[in-house]
Amino acid sequence: MAPYLSMGEAHRRIADYLSRVADSISSSDGAALASLLAVSSAPPSTPLSDALSAFPDFPRLAADRYPHLSDLLPTLLRAIHSHSLIRFADAYSSFEKAANAFLQEFRNWETPWAMEAMHTVALEIRLLAEKADRELATSGKNPDKLQAAGSFLMKVFGALAVKGPKRIGALYVTCQLFKIYFRLGTVHLCRSVIRSIETARNFDFEDFPVKDKVTYMYYTGRLEVFNENFLVADQKLTYALMHCNPQYGANLRRILKFLVPVKLSIGVLPRITLLERYNLLEYADVVTSLKRGDLRLLRQALERHEDQFLKSGVYLVLEKLELQVYQRLVKKIHIIQRLKEPAKAHQIKLEVVVKALKWLEIDMDVDEVECIMACLIYKNLIKGYFAHKSKVLVLSKQDPFPKLNGKPV
Amino acid sequence: MPANSFHYHQLYNQWSYYYDQSAPSSGVHAPAVAVSGTSDIKATNIGSGYVYPSTQPPPPGTTPWKSDAGAPAAPPPQAPGTSVFQNQHANQAAAPPGYQNQYVNTVPGTPGFQNQYANQAVGVPGYQNQYANQTPTYQSATTYYGQLPLSNQADQQKASHWQGPSSNVSSINHVSGSSQPTLQGSTTSDGHRLNKIQIPTNPRIAPSLPIAVPKAEKRNSEADLSQKPAYVSVAMHKNDVKTAQDGHEAATQGSIPVSLRTYVGRNVSRCKDDAQRSAVQSILKEIITKATADGILHTKNWDIEPMVPLPENVESTNMTSSAKDSSPFSFSTSRKSPGRRVKSRWEPVAEEKVANKVEVSSKELAKSNTFSSFDTTKKAGNSWDIGKFLQSRQAPVSQYNQRPSKQQRIGGNACLTENGNASNDSDKEQDLTKYYANAITLANSPEEKKRREHRSKRFERSQGAASSKSRSSAPDKDKTSNIYTRRSMSVLLNRSNGGALSFAVEDLDWDALTVKGTCQEIEKRYLRLTSAPDPATVRPEDVLPKALHMVEASQKNYLYKCDQLKSIRQDLTVQRIQNELTVKVYETHARLALQSGDLPEFNQCQSQLKRLYAEGIKGCHFEFSAYSLLCVMLHSNNKRDLLSSMASLSKDAKQDGTVKHALAVHSAVSSGNYVLFFKLYKTAPGLNSCLMDLYVERMRFEAIKCISKSYRLTLPVRYVAQVLGFMGIDEACEDKRADGLEECEEWLKAHGAVITVDNNNGELQIDTKVTSTSLYMPEPDNAVSHGDASLAVDDFWARTS
Repeated sequence: MAPYLSMGEAHRRIADYLSRVADSISSSDGAALASLLAVSSAPPSTPLSDALSAFPDFPRLAADRYPHLSDLLPTLLRAIHSHSLIRFADAYSSFEKAANAFLQEFRNWETPWAMEAMHTVALEIRLLAEKADRELATSGKNPDKLQAAGSFLMKVFGALAVKGPKRIGALYVTCQLFKIYFRLGTVHLCRSVIRSIETARNFDFEDFPVKDKVTYMYYTGRLEVFNENFLVADQKLTYALMHCNPQYGANLRRILKFLVPVKLSIGVLPRITLLERYNLLEYADVVTSLKRGDLRLLRQALERHEDQFLKSGVYLVLEKLELQVYQRLVKKIHIIQRLKEPAKAHQIKLEVVVKALKWLEIDMDVDEVECIMACLIYKNLIKGYFAHKSKVLVLSKQDPFPKLNGKPV
Repeated sequence: MPANSFHYHQLYNQWSYYYDQSAPSSGVHAPAVAVSGTSDIKATNIGSGYVYPSTQPPPPGTTPWKSDAGAPAAPPPQAPGTSVFQNQHANQAAAPPGYQNQYVNTVPGTPGFQNQYANQAVGVPGYQNQYANQTPTYQSATTYYGQLPLSNQADQQKASHWQGPSSNVSSINHVSGSSQPTLQGSTTSDGHRLNKIQIPTNPRIAPSLPIAVPKAEKRNSEADLSQKPAYVSVAMHKNDVKTAQDGHEAATQGSIPVSLRTYVGRNVSRCKDDAQRSAVQSILKEIITKATADGILHTKNWDIEPMVPLPENVESTNMTSSAKDSSPFSFSTSRKSPGRRVKSRWEPVAEEKVANKVEVSSKELAKSNTFSSFDTTKKAGNSWDIGKFLQSRQAPVSQYNQRPSKQQRIGGNACLTENGNASNDSDKEQDLTKYYANAITLANSPEEKKRREHRSKRFERSQGAASSKSRSSAPDKDKTSNIYTRRSMSVLLNRSNGGALSFAVEDLDWDALTVKGTCQEIEKRYLRLTSAPDPATVRPEDVLPKALHMVEASQKNYLYKCDQLKSIRQDLTVQRIQNELTVKVYETHARLALQSGDLPEFNQCQSQLKRLYAEGIKGCHFEFSAYSLLCVMLHSNNKRDLLSSMASLSKDAKQDGTVKHALAVHSAVSSGNYVLFFKLYKTAPGLNSCLMDLYVERMRFEAIKCISKSYRLTLPVRYVAQVLGFMGIDEACEDKRADGLEECEEWLKAHGAVITVDNNNGELQIDTKVTSTSLYMPEPDNAVSHGDASLAVDDFWARTS
């Protein structure tokens, strides 16, 4: 329970807060305004929130004092008040009203001085919406606030993604939108925003702030992983990795979590030390299996981390590595044969492969293995042909196992 | 080009009638038939086309039906009107879904009407028919805009469709005229004037409108304002009748509370023009009548009563008032200047402009219509007007179409959506106003009386909630109350449209709402509901298992079973039965659909099943998660969906045989292991093979591409037949093997493979080198131009026979 607060003191604190907001607007101080708008990061009890509890008539106070901000201030105070009472759904609703009012004002300001504040609003509305949804879900109601926050941010995006100085702030909002869409599982909604960012002629992508560019590339890279466009995904995620601030290990890890499978699928294996440094050891067995041609190990690794891989969305990518593992296995057999009898090294009997798989405790009959060999040739992982009558895989004398070299299978 | 598009219309219309299961000529041509009095559709068609020599728009006044009607009939000025009248009634009978039957009884039996009625009887569901009518109509509107004279007929039909609701409105306006003095002193004169005022309307409608009102009533309102209008007979109490009758201010002062008077004043002052005012007044009248009937006229808190919605569509109300004049010569110009209108903030600006212009031009047209039908000097005005008119009309038409279909989707629960849909769109408001008007004219039955009492009680209850909101802030007040009224109106509509539903809908007491079926028949054909379900045709819960059993045991074809299952599903839905029976029905249907390769129906069932399982109702959950997995991986190819459905599998589910199999299929597909795929295809549990069936062709093609590229020289067809699932590896019967071999050979040839004969043993073999470049995917044999073979007309007839 907050200590007793006299009405006068409460009144003074609220008036102080209001005047600071109004002053920062009138003096175009974006940073100061941004700090005043940060609702969700506040602890449950602040001097201001105590004052709001003690002085319930605060909306009128705000409206009376600053009639030109009467849409913004009372709702903002309500949001702060509800948030301090841990009523997040209410806080969200009030904050959304305040945010709308702020956006209205923001549209009228010609210079982008309030960009920082706008970004704070964009961030806050997402955080509040997430809190509100958690609260609604636990009380058995429909958690729809994050969706609402998404549509609000679309409005903000519309206000920013225009010609002129405000455009520089658009990418930040885009990233907030991505976060919402990925959380809601409605990633198809990203497409329109991406189009608007990438087709713009009047604004070079490189002019956006680095941090936004990195986030943007991370999310669009992930989208490309879903679409199995490994080359584009590689480009985007690599860009994100190269530009990411090396101090932020967690962010690097996030990027690598998707970049490693993408790289694997185009035939680039990471060092184990890299996986260790960024705590990505779930990929260690996958990498080993690719090196050894150990199909069993790959399947085990997939099974062990199935939930994790499914959740992050790389499961299907890793599953596709099987063919590369087969290729490795055939290559190993080829190397051994070359040591034993170099003359016949380029002819691999199917039964040898079947036997090798049996040792790996993988039960496949001759037809299936034959089919796999056919697939390897078809997908250009092996150069050569298969002779059905004699059940022999005939390898090309030159470069029988072409490297992927950055091309996906 | 004109001819072309007309042709399409015809086609389009006819198609819709096939689906309506009524004679192709029933709906669209009905108006034409009514007009000309002949039954030869072709002839009328041509007739309407000939009136205009070129692709120019028809001259003003020569509205299609008019000339049509005028041709066979003698030229007295009233004659065309009369025939149009019939025509319109015919359409009216068709127009509002759900209650044709009631309405039909009130319509005088003119030839035109009978004609239409006959059609209705043939066409099974009243609404379906209507829906079909509307769709082509909407289409034709656009073409007409392009000034194609040939589409006149359709356009005419459209116009007359519009007639339906609006002429109903007109009859209310009489009431408002007479009730006016009793309500508010200041507008008394208005009430009198209203009857004389002719606000010109669109020429397509104006000349015919006057007659569209039943004559007796019309005379009443003209000659004797104070007489009680026929329709109010329902719920009027004596004292109210009196007040309405004598129209004395003095008398009213005593019997009407001050709050009510100010309420009326508030409402009337919002109106922009006379037409709107009269519409509002009619609604007010209605409300007051109700209140009086319930004896709450004095007890009700009128201060918190929500405002009645303004009819936004000026035209519609214009039509209304013009309808009052029986003589086409009495067009007068005594309408208020536009400047005096109080503009509602809900009204879109553009619309008003359009309406205004239409008004002006239509006034001209209306005049010319009356005096000379072939006044070519007004041509320009007419063509312009048509364009605008159609534009302004299109949106409502389509809404009108959509609304019932939406309702139908969720059957008995439609009211909820209706409530939810009561958003702020102003055009919806217009719609509702018209509906409301419709509802009022229906008020003759004792049924309706009961409903009305019920409704007014509900109004009282809802006021409490409404008041707190509408009081909270001044600018919001109007809005809030508007929404409230609209909601209650939409509920009202619902009820009046769906004749059978007779309980309060506003309070969301679902149990009270739920239909309890009484039908004992086991077999029932599926019919898309267009109105609230009738308990007499709904089978109760204890009959449905029998019906399900009947379907399961039936030897008939899938189309029959599908139809039966859909009707069972519908009965379940309208009775809100969600238990293991529901799951069983959906599962049965899903399986049948799978067996017949009906993927759309399967998906419908699947999504319902997902929901039901999620609610914890037991069924074959694992089996269907396997199907859903297969469906996503083989047919939708959406990686994200696949990931999420894989992630949603529980540990137990993964142990299930069917699910395991599905996952194995997935890995076979993702690694391109066709041998494994066809092995799994042969050993598929449940109906997995049915889903795989649909992927077999693609898998085989992929496989033969792979094979032809990776095998050198030749490959025996026998081997390919084996691995590609044309014949089982361990199949004992030699005949079957031979069949499979032959089938495989056929398939290979059809896909461009080159087959040679082995010189040594005479076996067939594939020449892989040649084949690798000559493979192609043949066009499917059963492809249809509209893309969905299941919509083929043969199937349709199979279903109906």
